[in-house]
Amino acid sequence: MTGPTALKAAYAVTWIVELMYIRYLFGRFRRVRSEMKGLKRSS
Amino acid sequence: MKSLSITFIIFTLALLGFSTYQALFVAPTEQTMGEVQRIFYYHVPSAWVAGVCFFVNFLASIAYLWKKSLDADALAAASAEVGVVFCTIVLITGPIWARPVWGIWWTWDARLTTTLVLWLIYVSYLVLRRFAAGGQTQTLAAALAIFGFVDVPIVYMSIRWFRTQHPSPVMGGGENSGLDPTMLQAFLWNLLAFTCVGIILVAARYRLQRLENEVEAAHAQLALEGGAQ
Repeated sequence: MTGPTALKAAYAVTWIVELMYIRYLFGRFRRVRSEMKGLKRSS
Repeated sequence: MKSLSITFIIFTLALLGFSTYQALFVAPTEQTMGEVQRIFYYHVPSAWVAGVCFFVNFLASIAYLWKKSLDADALAAASAEVGVVFCTIVLITGPIWARPVWGIWWTWDARLTTTLVLWLIYVSYLVLRRFAAGGQTQTLAAALAIFGFVDVPIVYMSIRWFRTQHPSPVMGGGENSGLDPTMLQAFLWNLLAFTCVGIILVAARYRLQRLENEVEAAHAQLALEGGAQ
């Protein structure tokens, strides 16, 4: 692996990991909100 | 509050763009390593955010054991998870830098090994929180977090205590350490930008944890009401 390739790979990996985590958080937020709506309806 | 959060997110995105520009185009190319040295501007700030997150987790865990506050527990869970995300980035970007510079992806030196151990400790903390059954999960997790934090200063000091393949401290490492002023400027911008990203992620994860606690309490309430009828 050459220097410039390694540099691009490292920066890309950083953003991919952070964006994957943000996506995971959004998914969990969506699930919790729909669960809250369901609870409000059933109570 | 919401408009303040949005303003902070926009500020952070602008800061990230600026700091990345500083790292890639403004900071001079290092003479020995060349372009690959620029990984430093993402690698070290990620390690910083991971360390700060684990410290917050340590303090929140003590607060939970002391006050039994669910908010402290939520902060502990949030900071540990975000810390693991940034520690993962450190463990990936490090070997990507090492391959062209050392000729190897990994070596079992003190800094790399203690960082991997740190990551494993906090991954097991998250696994414990996710899968442990019974009412003592939060207390057990807080105890694990307090003992687990012992590894953070060991990781930090490892390059001072041992002869390692990992580079010696760039700042505060004695007479031969230090950065070119333009490099230092790019580094500090990235440190600030990554810290802001860390704050946003911990805040979001903390809010999520509190919502999940509310849902859990509502489920318990419904079950009690159902049982009483």
